[in-house]
Amino acid sequence: MTTDDCIGVIGAGNWGTTLAKVLGDNDKRTLLWARRDELCREINETRQNSQYLPGFSLGPSVEATSDLERICKSASLIIAVVPSHTMRETARELGNHLTGEHVIVHATKGIEQGTFKRMSEVLREETCLRKIGVISGPNLAKELAARQPAGTLVASRYDEVFVRTHAALHNDYFRVYQGRDVIGAEIGGGFKNIIALAAGVAAGLGLGDNTKALLLTRGLSEMARFGVAMGAEVMTFGGMAGMGDLIATCSSPLSRNHQVGARLARGEKLEDIQRDMRMVAEGVKMAKAANDFAVRKRLDLPIVRAVHNLLYEHHQVPLLLKELMSIPAGPEFAALTV
Amino acid sequence: MRPEHRERARIEAATRVVDRHVAALRPPEEVGLEALVNDTLYHERRRLERDRGGDPRNADDSAFYHRIQKRLRHASARDLREMLDQIALRFASEIVGNFDDRVYKLSTTVVPTGLSVLLTAMSPGKLGSLGSLRHGLSDHVQIQGTVDHVRKLLDKGTLVVVPTHSSHLDSIVLGYAVHLLGLPPLLYGAGLNLFKNPVTSFFMNNLGAYRVDRKKTAALYKEVLKEYATVALELDYNNLFFPGGTRSRSGAVEQKLKRGLLGTAVRAYVGNLQSRRDKPNLYVVPCTISYKLGLEAETLIDDYLKEVGKNRYIIEDDEFSRPRQVLNFMSNLVSLDSRVVITFSRPLDVVGNFVDEEGRSLDPRGRVVDAASYVSDGGVAVHDAQRDEEYTNELSAAIAREFLRDNLAMSTHVVGYALLDMIQRENPDMDLYRLLRTGGRSPSVTATDLARETERVIGALSRSTRGPRLSDELSRDPQAVVDDALRAFGSYHAHAAAVRRGDRVFHEDRNLLLYYGNRLKGYDLGRNLARPSGEAAEPAGARA
Repeated sequence: MTTDDCIGVIGAGNWGTTLAKVLGDNDKRTLLWARRDELCREINETRQNSQYLPGFSLGPSVEATSDLERICKSASLIIAVVPSHTMRETARELGNHLTGEHVIVHATKGIEQGTFKRMSEVLREETCLRKIGVISGPNLAKELAARQPAGTLVASRYDEVFVRTHAALHNDYFRVYQGRDVIGAEIGGGFKNIIALAAGVAAGLGLGDNTKALLLTRGLSEMARFGVAMGAEVMTFGGMAGMGDLIATCSSPLSRNHQVGARLARGEKLEDIQRDMRMVAEGVKMAKAANDFAVRKRLDLPIVRAVHNLLYEHHQVPLLLKELMSIPAGPEFAALTV
Repeated sequence: MRPEHRERARIEAATRVVDRHVAALRPPEEVGLEALVNDTLYHERRRLERDRGGDPRNADDSAFYHRIQKRLRHASARDLREMLDQIALRFASEIVGNFDDRVYKLSTTVVPTGLSVLLTAMSPGKLGSLGSLRHGLSDHVQIQGTVDHVRKLLDKGTLVVVPTHSSHLDSIVLGYAVHLLGLPPLLYGAGLNLFKNPVTSFFMNNLGAYRVDRKKTAALYKEVLKEYATVALELDYNNLFFPGGTRSRSGAVEQKLKRGLLGTAVRAYVGNLQSRRDKPNLYVVPCTISYKLGLEAETLIDDYLKEVGKNRYIIEDDEFSRPRQVLNFMSNLVSLDSRVVITFSRPLDVVGNFVDEEGRSLDPRGRVVDAASYVSDGGVAVHDAQRDEEYTNELSAAIAREFLRDNLAMSTHVVGYALLDMIQRENPDMDLYRLLRTGGRSPSVTATDLARETERVIGALSRSTRGPRLSDELSRDPQAVVDDALRAFGSYHAHAAAVRRGDRVFHEDRNLLLYYGNRLKGYDLGRNLARPSGEAAEPAGARA
């Protein structure tokens, strides 16, 4: 590719800026897109994004711009990191400037509300692109920005997507693994938020590590059952985008999903919590979508059901816990022999 | 294919395949080359053993491979390469066949006349004069869809027509349609059995068909075959592939397509761009052929039920090889009871984008996109096997969607589905195979109930966003739809699928009901049907 020396990052939020920082650390010429000109100015003048990644400097090879067309003309590898609810709109805009030669990977966790579509499906519907992939894994932005060793998964049906993303991001503190199961990688990244919410509830109740491990392991099993029903491969959930992401997310008491769970356990109301947080925790939306899907497909996902009933049916935490613990336990992998 | 093209295609197909293998060899080269020769020898000898006495050319083949085997022992890398060239050329020669250039040029007149000759020769008295037959045919072979669009694309690139496949008549009927539309003939690969078949050999030899021997299992053979199709496309011969591979056994519209031949589209496109051809574009035109009655329905569904889950065998002795049966079917076609509808779907590019009338690719939002950009690396067209395989998957998915969308539901399909569904619901404890055999508790349903169920199926189909289109007859009163289907069922098959006696409809051949009803598979009918509460939706495994 003649344009290989330039990479476009669409979205200058916390995770987008962090990925741009990794690219900067790798001396890759990077165009970082932010919708607001003031933010672009700040990044270009101070090398910092004080709102979304305070305390970290971006390398000199990173330039912020609000010009999507310029990015598409200069870069043939695009990394899309916009929130799930703005992906469609941004993709449509990008679509005005893309050609079939472009490669895109998205690093957006979550599913489009209403349509229940995965981000790669949204990209496929809104652009001419075929070479689409996803980055998903246990990647807490702050730790990665601090160059603490981490790994991630790039999944795509197209080898070229992996090869080029690997060449751009892989370095001595960030390991980029290859996968082909796009559906699994996308499901893992969204579904884990439901389990993180449940883990928050357990923490809020003062329950210990045995409970957390039980929750994570059975949560992983539900994730795999759900994913397989969506067309994913079961092995994906044992990897970076499944178990890996689940461990990282559920271990962090700072995550929004965890906080929502903990506060619900303490008896606070969802509306009050959401008002305080100003942003909807992904797990809150995902629990509804996943539960609806499970009902439709007749999947038995007890943890998802419990989280859903806690959020939307106003069930009480002690009762839900009792219900979960009274489900008969049989062979551990019985439900996975799909 | 013109003689100079034929020779070029034959040599290019063989040498490209061998070159590709040689380029991928790791030292020592002898090992890889010998493995390839040995593999081909193994498959060819096995075929010859199984097919002993089957084909007169087998003796010649045996002698040829015997000579190869003898030389193999002390062969150098150069000798091995030479042997491979010989084998590949031998394959290519057979594939190219020996159809006559003069006939090819004349084929626009040969097609319809041939079809008429076929019919009148078998029963001149019954079918009347040639003229009236032609007239009758054009009444009963209907062509719908994107005909004008396809015609415009002819000037802008090369066409790959990819139809659904449910009968050996498909290629003939399509040949006829192509003639009616004034399109140039299509080149297509036909099974060797069709060349041997007394009814079809005439057409196969003369309609631009090349030979496909499905008994040849050697990888090298399949590669030469695909490369031949690629070269033919690069030489601007419009092609016809049946992407389902063989005729649909179950009666369902194909959803799992064979990517092998389909993959030649993107290969040829890259080849065209690399050789800077004037009009490099390739347009893939999905096409559904919908029969109200299936000529080979009984054999196909029987094969399906017998072989489901196992390897299928190649049917050589089916309705199509019995002239009387073909005659019955054809005379039925020109009578009022049957109909063939060919629908050309929206044309696609090689990665599955829709194409406008100017031949430009469109993205899902309708924006024009340069098709060449998909196969470009830094603006230069390149082959990339892994990428192109995925492109072919995308193309295949797009074709499958068009098949579902443009499939034409007719009375036989709807009533076949409705009746079998009723029987299944009345016998919830019986598995499908037992039900097909025994018919369950009652041999009949009331005509009123069947009409009600038919109405419900039609309603569900019209709500389905994926298709199909509904045939005109389905807009009639449900009872009339049932009557229409029963009349059709009774007019051709040895045993009618269902018959009406008094106010009850008896299911006589449930396999046929399954066959016709399967045409509506893929529309989630079980879920869409507004069933009375408490009744189960489509039972698991109920449909093929």
